[in-house]
Amino acid sequence: MNPRSLLLNAYVYAVLAFILLPIFIILPMAFSETTYLTFPPQGVTLRWFEEFFGDSRWMAATWFSAKIAALTAITTAVVGTMATYALVRGARTMGTIFQAFLIGPIVVPHIALAVALYLFFQNTGLSGTVFGYVAAHSIIAMPFTVFTVAAALSSVDPALEDAAMSCGANRFNAFRLITLPIILPNVISGGLFAFIISFDEPVIAFFLAGIRDKTLPRMMFDDIEQNLTPIIPAIAVLLTVLSIVVLLAAALLKYLADRNSTAREET
Amino acid sequence: MKAGFFEANGRQMSRGAILLLMAPFFALVIFAFLYPLGSLLSLSVLEPSPTLTNYERVFDNPIYATVLYRTLRMALLVSLLSLALSLPVAILMANSRGPKAVFLTACVLLPFWSSVLVRTAAWSILLQRNGLVNEFLQGIGITSEPLRLLYTQGAVVIAMTHVLMPFMVLPIYGALRNIPFDYNRAAAICGAGPLRSFWEVTLPLAMPGILGGFILVFLTALGYFITPSLLGSPQEMMIATLISQQIRENLDWPFAAALVGVLTLLVTIITLVFSKVFRFERMLGARA
Amino acid sequence: MSQTVSSNNKGASIEIDRLAKTFGSVRAVDDVSLTIEPGEFVALLGPSGSGKSTVLMSVAGFERPSAGRIMIGGKDCTRLPPNKRDIGMVFQHYTLFPHLSVGDNVAFPLKMRGVAKAERRRQAEAALEIVRLGGYGDRMPKQLSGGQQQRVALARAIVYNPQVLLMDEPLSALDKNLREEMQIEIKRLHAELGFTVVFVTHDQGEALTMADRIAILKAGRLQQVSPARELYERPSNLFAASFIGEMNMLPVQWDGANATFSEREHIRLPDSASIETVPSGRAVLAVRPERLSVTSPGETGSWRATVSDVVYAGAGSLLITHLHDGSEVRLRVASAGQAPVRPGQAIGIKVPPEAALLYPADAAR
Repeated sequence: MNPRSLLLNAYVYAVLAFILLPIFIILPMAFSETTYLTFPPQGVTLRWFEEFFGDSRWMAATWFSAKIAALTAITTAVVGTMATYALVRGARTMGTIFQAFLIGPIVVPHIALAVALYLFFQNTGLSGTVFGYVAAHSIIAMPFTVFTVAAALSSVDPALEDAAMSCGANRFNAFRLITLPIILPNVISGGLFAFIISFDEPVIAFFLAGIRDKTLPRMMFDDIEQNLTPIIPAIAVLLTVLSIVVLLAAALLKYLADRNSTAREET
Repeated sequence: MKAGFFEANGRQMSRGAILLLMAPFFALVIFAFLYPLGSLLSLSVLEPSPTLTNYERVFDNPIYATVLYRTLRMALLVSLLSLALSLPVAILMANSRGPKAVFLTACVLLPFWSSVLVRTAAWSILLQRNGLVNEFLQGIGITSEPLRLLYTQGAVVIAMTHVLMPFMVLPIYGALRNIPFDYNRAAAICGAGPLRSFWEVTLPLAMPGILGGFILVFLTALGYFITPSLLGSPQEMMIATLISQQIRENLDWPFAAALVGVLTLLVTIITLVFSKVFRFERMLGARA
Repeated sequence: MSQTVSSNNKGASIEIDRLAKTFGSVRAVDDVSLTIEPGEFVALLGPSGSGKSTVLMSVAGFERPSAGRIMIGGKDCTRLPPNKRDIGMVFQHYTLFPHLSVGDNVAFPLKMRGVAKAERRRQAEAALEIVRLGGYGDRMPKQLSGGQQQRVALARAIVYNPQVLLMDEPLSALDKNLREEMQIEIKRLHAELGFTVVFVTHDQGEALTMADRIAILKAGRLQQVSPARELYERPSNLFAASFIGEMNMLPVQWDGANATFSEREHIRLPDSASIETVPSGRAVLAVRPERLSVTSPGETGSWRATVSDVVYAGAGSLLITHLHDGSEVRLRVASAGQAPVRPGQAIGIKVPPEAALLYPADAAR
């Protein structure tokens, strides 16, 4: 290795240490016997996991978040796929509006969206409702799902649908039987990303939370702000495991999709 | 904005079918984005009667003007720091193959997909009075007693850089990966050494990705709420915390709406100015 | 203005000495030695995977040889990085820098060599004029057609008077008409400027029309290095014979003087038929389809054959015939002035003895 690339490698690994350090610091603390957070953690205990799973408020928040995340995933996958398909199959003039609508919620800071929804939902009684959360989270997760689906859709040969229709299928059946199975892995991984985004979403949750129904991130925010107990590292461990599982699932789906498409090319 | 990614292809559908398929999407955006944001912004100019006083307050009151200026300065700092940290990582990622490339990508993606709250909490633990950073600083003799690191602008900048860095790495990496290998060969045969070739060819060609990542980080940092709220000092607020405070403590909706208006106007202008280099699909595509 | 570029350029010799390159267990280039004279135009020709590109990339400096040496102009360049070799190169896909104007692209090598800006502009414009694109300097590469882009790439490669010009399938991305035009253009530049050219192609027609000598590679090994005519008329082995042009290959028994391919048909071959000594026994008789002609069946010295198919193709016709032992023989004959031949008809095939070439059978591999 020449001096130049040695320098580059050294710099990059220092940066990676900066990236990974906080995560590797916080995860072991989940097993610490002390009630305050210190590094290195002392002793090994599963107490904080027990406390998390045994506390009805944490459990309620977790299920509440999971329910919202699952519904957000389904909503973005279905609504996003419909719109993307319509766009790719013809809505030339709507492309710009569509993109503006899609990008708007990414560009406009979440704080602005959260405050706007807070006002709107308070006036309509939607604050703290599953419906309100799902609508809000779908808005911010939509771009990720749509781009994942669009990537797959743009690589599907449109002649396949023509072929299906020449065999007697109508438009819907051509989509259902030909295009959808091909893009399904991407639709599902788009939904998975939406799930993670919703499950992890702190800002909107901060403003929309009702008195009783709080999402998991909202509970975590309060805990961090107030006393920061080792229950947070315990949740961090669980969330990291969840993220890794979802990422691996997405990678597996991508692998399957790629294998399908190569198989198609060969035949 | 270019629609390349959504290029229409295949047999076109009827107008009715297109509208039907798009209706849920547009309904959702109108219901949960356009209408709420519009009615909030209308508060800022209509409350109590048509007026611009709420906006005048933002700029005339030195406290609020300072918050705005501080927010811009810190967002810029975070973006510059992210760039300095991200560019070499993206370069090494783009030039690596096999297990090393997988390892580097995993290192960048893992924090990307772990909770923002968790990462902020980690920094709060690291930076506390008896935290690891203070122990380290005392250990090597930089300071004899613990420094106040938490609840400072420095803590906010470092933690936000940590949280937003992947948004910089991925677009730059994507841009670098899209540069055909032959360009560097052509530069070499023309007489350019590796550094010259990087400076004259690679960097200009990766510029859209670099600029895109920079703008994305800058925009996100401008309106960032979580990290400044948890790690920042109440005396040195950023705009998002100020908005939250105006609503939750002062219940001053028209003024909060004006702050949101300023913030939204700012990001919209920046987005439109840089819309050419702003290819979201590329950035988000890289995320998967 | 063109004299700035063309002045005192004689071209450099290139010596490739026992070059080898292995990728893992694959021997991409296997013991290739080739000496290229100053100012010579050599084409590297071979199927994909033959190692021709690897040889070129080793000369350019992009591949580090596993063994062997590369000398350019008498100087050992084996370990020299590409940017210090002073070589001009045209890549397969133009590879014009998309962020630079045409003029800046052409001036790039001059910039790397520290030439002042005004002088760069002047020389770049001169080089553009040489490739007949004078006045295009301010455009961006994207605004030019494929053929024009390749001319710009050519101008960039020659702008600083390199003594060696390497070309990696430079015309394969162009359509047929443009390709022929560019072939003439490159030949003209070579004649005018006198640099040494190494040209990689998989198109044998291109190699035959352009190169002084053609080097044929197969599976990393050099098969033959010859001028076009010799390569076509006296290919040195069966691979070269089958790779260039059409060739009838007939299994025969060889007794040292006569080749026999069925009970009755045999042909006495002159000594010149064998490029190298062919041992008695099984051998292959090779003859180009256009060297054969049709006579009446049974004429002395002719082969008896039955016509299977006649393919009319304008000026010429292709006759597909079969001998008694079933082996196929193709003939290319002029369409005009021939008695019409029909499928099923028995004919005689006249073989000029000097057109027949004999190769040992096992050399076919």
